Amino acid sequence: MSAEVRYGPLVAALAALALVAALVSLTVGYARLDVSAALADVFAGRPTAAAVVLEQIRLPRAALGAMVGFSLGLAGAALQGLLRNPLADPGVIGVSGGAALGAVVVFYSGLAGAFALAMPLGGVAGAIAAALLLYALVGRGAGTMTLILAGVTVNSFAGALTALALNLSPNPYAAYEIMFWLMGSLADRSLPQLWLALPLTIVGWALLIASAPALDALTLGEDTAASLGFDLGRLRAQLIAGAALAVGAAVAVTGAIGFVGLVAPHLLRPLVGDRPGRLLLVSGLGGAIVLLVADIAVRLIPVHPELKLGVATALIGAPLLYGLIDRMRKEA
Amino acid sequence: MRGFPIAGEANSSGRRSQTAHGSFFLPRAAGEGDRAKRGRRWGAFLFAALLAIAAPAFAKPQRVVSLNLCADELALRLADPGVVKSVTWLSQDPLSANVAATAAALPANDGHAEEALTYEPDLVLVGPFAEPASIALLRQVGAPVVEVGAPQTFDGVRRQIRDLAAALGELQRGEALIAGMEARLARVAVDPSRPRLKAVVLRPNGFTVGPGSLVDEILTRAGLDNLAARLDIAADEQVPLEIVALLGADVLILDRDEAGAPSLADAALDHPAIAALARRTTIVSLPARLWTCGGPEIAEAVERLAAAARAREATP
Repeated sequence: MSAEVRYGPLVAALAALALVAALVSLTVGYARLDVSAALADVFAGRPTAAAVVLEQIRLPRAALGAMVGFSLGLAGAALQGLLRNPLADPGVIGVSGGAALGAVVVFYSGLAGAFALAMPLGGVAGAIAAALLLYALVGRGAGTMTLILAGVTVNSFAGALTALALNLSPNPYAAYEIMFWLMGSLADRSLPQLWLALPLTIVGWALLIASAPALDALTLGEDTAASLGFDLGRLRAQLIAGAALAVGAAVAVTGAIGFVGLVAPHLLRPLVGDRPGRLLLVSGLGGAIVLLVADIAVRLIPVHPELKLGVATALIGAPLLYGLIDRMRKEA
Repeated sequence: MRGFPIAGEANSSGRRSQTAHGSFFLPRAAGEGDRAKRGRRWGAFLFAALLAIAAPAFAKPQRVVSLNLCADELALRLADPGVVKSVTWLSQDPLSANVAATAAALPANDGHAEEALTYEPDLVLVGPFAEPASIALLRQVGAPVVEVGAPQTFDGVRRQIRDLAAALGELQRGEALIAGMEARLARVAVDPSRPRLKAVVLRPNGFTVGPGSLVDEILTRAGLDNLAARLDIAADEQVPLEIVALLGADVLILDRDEAGAPSLADAALDHPAIAALARRTTIVSLPARLWTCGGPEIAEAVERLAAAARAREATP
């Protein structure tokens, strides 16, 4: 495409934008906070209330926003490359829903208290189950219709099981928490949650980004890619594992946030041309920006209690998905 | 069941809230609570004693079924053993209820009208969120229904105990229950000349408790000043954690039960920011069973908060 720009400067610009969005996120909140004074307190080790708010509430929120957004954008681009379909967003096809189910089962059964990594691993297990279920249906070049229908099926099944698990919990609040798991939120997350999710997430990112050359080859067709020496079975396993690690760990902390993996690749694809490998990193950064901006927006919109993040991303993402389907229908 | 009567969101639903709260009392004599002044108490007591003597004339209910946690708690304290035939499953959970030991010996119900009917009750107690259709059904088959409320003041608590004691034909026990509560409250001495400590309540999901609520009165009785009154919020509203952190409270009261099943709502009270505040703020955990229903156990809530306030004043 003519809009194609140079890769290096594009990555640098997006990274800078994501950093700015994260810094802005630190300054946005409900309490009037003198951020520079709070920052001085944090660095001086003075445990003032302002320092606590900045370090324990706003910092994890901004960092998780960037991390989760990156995971969703990256996983979206990778799944779209694997399935060769621009609609393959972790939320749309049910991977996030599966991750939410896994995390819910681990958390409300009390298993999360058994060992620290149980929560993110539960999310990863759920994401893998959903991805395998989906891949069994649409693995080999199935049409868009099959992909979407399979996604609807996986999503609604995972959603129903999530509701069931929440209703089975003896805790009276559990049943009301379905909104968090299906729509996602970054409100009042904490640093320990960030540290727990980060290692699995980074492994997932590495697996996905390492698949870039194979994804580029795959655009030439499976046979050509195989003849170029890429093991397609391995590529699938690597992409599904990578997406499950990144998305599963993220959802276990923030709940399922839809459409980020759809919006970011869609907006950035024209800038990198028909190179799914190059789209990976770019789309991850784009996802981080989208999620951080959405999270800033839900705090600025005067609605109480705070809007769930999935509401904000769906308001942008759903019309986009509609437009994409419409265009694909006309092209077909 | 724990801090339920806190928000529209939490109230609007489900299995627990239906059985969980009390409600308004239908047969309420207007202004009865206003007369519960000290000087009048003896009169009420005498009246109760007379009624108790005359009681055989009015048949006491003999088969009482309660479909609400707060009604369970009062009915089990007021009625003769064996009169209450069934209570909600919630009151058998020691985390939710103050009467779990007694309740455990009784058949449990899920708060449905048709469950009540299987006991052929001569009195059914329901809560404020009971379905009107269920109440109509019970009345239709001839079972008297009394609704138990969620009182928002100490006067309301006394009135509620009296009303239910009357419905159960146990006026004397009702007065004794109130007298026990008053005696405990009277022992909590708050020095009015000392500056009141600033406190804020944090319930699961980040709700706080504003003025005009039972919890607000509990705080006042314990010698604390509810900081939520300074926030421009409704009686029960979700407050972002960062606002709570910057309020500068002397005492932070967490509505929590240590051994409950996990939920995100409760996990919110485990946020590291709260632990980080502990250097400046005294943190007290108060189990929900002490202040959810508005029964005589509110005296224990006042005692615990007053003790925390004294401990805080003692630390430099």
